[in-house]
Amino acid sequence: MVDLSQYLPILLFLFIALGLSVAFVFLPMGVSRLTGAHQPTAEKLSEYECGFPAFEDSRGQFDVRFYLVAILFIVFDLEAAFLFPWAVSLDLTGWAGWTTMMIFLAELAVGLAYAWKVGALEWE
Amino acid sequence: MDYATSLYLTGAEIGLSISGLVLLLVSAWGGARVTRLVTILAAAALFGAAIFTGHLFTELSVPAAGDAFGGLYRADDFSSFAKILIYLAVIACLMITPKYLAANGIYRSEYPILLLFGAVGMSMMVSAVDLITLYIGLELSSLSSYVLASFARDDVRSSEAGLKYFILGALASGILLYGMSLIYGFAGTTDYAAIRLAFIGGIETGALFGIVFVLAGLAFKIAAVPFHMWTPDVYEGAPTPVTAFFASAPKVAAVAILMRIALEPFADHVDSWRQIVVFAALASIVVGALGAIGQDSLKRLLAYSSINNVGFILIGLATATQLGTSAMMTYLVIYVVMTLGSFTALLMLRAEDGRPFETFSDIAGLATRKPAIAWCLLLLMFSLAGIPPLFGFWAKFVVFRAAVEADLIALAAIGIAASVIGAFYYLKFVKVMFFDEAEGSVVKTSPIGQWIVLILAGIIVSPLGYFLNGLLDAWSSDAAASLFYLV
Repeated sequence: MVDLSQYLPILLFLFIALGLSVAFVFLPMGVSRLTGAHQPTAEKLSEYECGFPAFEDSRGQFDVRFYLVAILFIVFDLEAAFLFPWAVSLDLTGWAGWTTMMIFLAELAVGLAYAWKVGALEWE
Repeated sequence: MDYATSLYLTGAEIGLSISGLVLLLVSAWGGARVTRLVTILAAAALFGAAIFTGHLFTELSVPAAGDAFGGLYRADDFSSFAKILIYLAVIACLMITPKYLAANGIYRSEYPILLLFGAVGMSMMVSAVDLITLYIGLELSSLSSYVLASFARDDVRSSEAGLKYFILGALASGILLYGMSLIYGFAGTTDYAAIRLAFIGGIETGALFGIVFVLAGLAFKIAAVPFHMWTPDVYEGAPTPVTAFFASAPKVAAVAILMRIALEPFADHVDSWRQIVVFAALASIVVGALGAIGQDSLKRLLAYSSINNVGFILIGLATATQLGTSAMMTYLVIYVVMTLGSFTALLMLRAEDGRPFETFSDIAGLATRKPAIAWCLLLLMFSLAGIPPLFGFWAKFVVFRAAVEADLIALAAIGIAASVIGAFYYLKFVKVMFFDEAEGSVVKTSPIGQWIVLILAGIIVSPLGYFLNGLLDAWSSDAAASLFYLV
């Protein structure tokens, strides 16, 4: 039988986190409604303006540079995903594991240097 | 694990990887000026790798050679044979490319580097004795291929070819991975030898599904019917030198992994995959032959021709014997020579204003305008049709001989009958070049690299090629023997 009482701290933590996050979201809304002027416009009610509108014609043209950044991001994001298990198991893999990861990092560095030099990182 | 041995056995791949990375930096800093230098250095690196692999081929006299990195990678005569063929094919692709790409304004130094990385991926594929190594190699070569297909990125057809190839290639990889996951689920290992041990008492239905999915995924990669539909579109849309590459080196690698996966982990269960291979072989031969008849585009025609040839190669696999495997290796060599020769000839046919010749009306009466190219094409087409005494006949002969000796007489008979259908369009090629009235356009002169490849291909497929027979036979049977060493 699992002793559920040992999970009490995490339960408390979740309740507190939930309460705090609800407060963070709704408190400013309530305060601003009570203290400020309420004048909604189309621009204010639209989603947070980042990237591009979520719903529109799927054939719309879209700057390829977004993809370039996204691809580079994924490469280095995955690198981090590799590094973590490598780091915690280094005592088992030893020098072979260390060397392999260094080779991998060097290859990524070459890729980054190439992307940098050909101007893939410049927005304009 | 002995690292020194591992590094020694994988020397060719390591050398190519390092050259690829260094050349990538050279190209980034050197810009357009170093494109030619990068091409030459890439060809030199491939040549070095071929020499090293040749050294391994002669040195590893025992058929079961060395396993590297804890049984993930194997260097044996089979892999060395396939690798040398791949490296030489890529060198030929590098030789025929520069002028064509330069004329279209797309000669960039990334091209040889992508070919180099593709070659690394392909040699990992043929050396893989573990499903994971196989997949990594396959993806490395496929990713290079997707980019190469859309190398003329301002050209709509090239972009379309790249996108189609990417989507269907990703689908094929997914199917392959699903099959691998089933095999892993039932065998509990990804290692070929261990898979074989796991299934020694019989094969479950689930693992059978795994084999079917793996075969389907690989059939995509070698463009065997019924998974061939992408081939004509991609071959037509991609720049012609890239098409020549697609039809040669990656096909060798994909056929080689198909052979290894069929004959190593599943060697005890030939009956469970033979029907699939027989079906794919016959369907490829028939569809390749019939599909080409209606084509007016020469590149589409050669795409169907390559589908047709894959069918003949698969007949060798259906035998599941050492003789059949050896016949496949011989066929692959001759096929690569014929394909590279044909595409090189196609590359050399450009009007004076730079427009490439694409249809039958373009090559009408070529014999009077460019007799040398026309005669080489005649040799290549007769050889592809399998007409003796040209070397293409020998390729078909060894495959059919193996099929007959393995008691697959019906298969051989249908294959021979269907190869007659295929002869129709090869002969049409020759008829249009030699007997039709020439039309206005003049053919531009071609660079020396393309002439070298075309003439070499012409010499090898001509009856002079039979002088190579002794060597080719010995090497093919060495390569085949190493696949059957454990039996």
